[in-house]
Amino acid sequence: MSQVRKAFRKGVKVSERHGAGEWTAERLSSLLLVPLTVWALWAAFQIAGGGYEGALDWFSNRVNASILAVTLLATLWHMNMGLKVIVEDYIHTDGAKGLLLGLNTLFCLALAAGSVFFIVRLALGSAPLPAGFGF
Amino acid sequence: MSNASPGAPLDSSNDPTGDQTGRFVIQPNGRPRPLSPHLQVWRWHVTMLASILTRITGSALYGATALIVLWLGALAFGPEAYATFVGLAGSPIGLIVWFGLTVCLMYHLAAGVRHLIWDAGAGLSPKAADTASHLSIWFGVIASVVFWAVLFASGKVTL
Repeated sequence: MSQVRKAFRKGVKVSERHGAGEWTAERLSSLLLVPLTVWALWAAFQIAGGGYEGALDWFSNRVNASILAVTLLATLWHMNMGLKVIVEDYIHTDGAKGLLLGLNTLFCLALAAGSVFFIVRLALGSAPLPAGFGF
Repeated sequence: MSNASPGAPLDSSNDPTGDQTGRFVIQPNGRPRPLSPHLQVWRWHVTMLASILTRITGSALYGATALIVLWLGALAFGPEAYATFVGLAGSPIGLIVWFGLTVCLMYHLAAGVRHLIWDAGAGLSPKAADTASHLSIWFGVIASVVFWAVLFASGKVTL
């Protein structure tokens, strides 16, 4: 056993593990997502019915593209923590739990990479994919 | 409580051996232990419903985020891919799915605000908590209906 250094603050032992970090992160992401969700609903209303050209027009505005990227990244962070809690609550076998937690994070990372990639291309007005990939 | 003290005499209320109430379970080590109360023995209460709905709608929104990224991908892949996506998303079944996800989003949003208020230590009396739970559920439904009514009324979405 490695020696654990116990830290005290105001006579109370400070947690040696995660502490309240996850709890704080859940609240912080919620707080961030409240205005961003309202904005996303407004954005959806603007984009709806505009067709392909209308959607591209919307993305040509850099502010729109940037806020959408932030919204999606905050959402992915929030939903990754959310599903993590659900898995930890209901799945008690170590193997299945580890596998699901890993898949959850991989899936969220893939969505994060995909959304940033697509948003940057749309904001820059790049030619439709797979242009630029040698096809 | 006298029943809980170790030396309390066994009677029909705390004797696990002849129990026919289902309040005790035999543990793997052979000892009877009181059954922990679970969903089926609680009277449904609105705060409980609101909590469960938050989790269910959150799970649905996990899928909704994937659909949004799919939408981004379709847009980035050009007009043909986008037409395919919009054809599916704008079909009657697609619209029902989007409406359901809107209810999930509106409810989860309201539930999040409610939870942040509770986390700040406010509104935790039973009456205030009940009111906040009712409000978040009604907001989820009404805001979604209004959102889609405006979408249809403005001609942005048609059947």
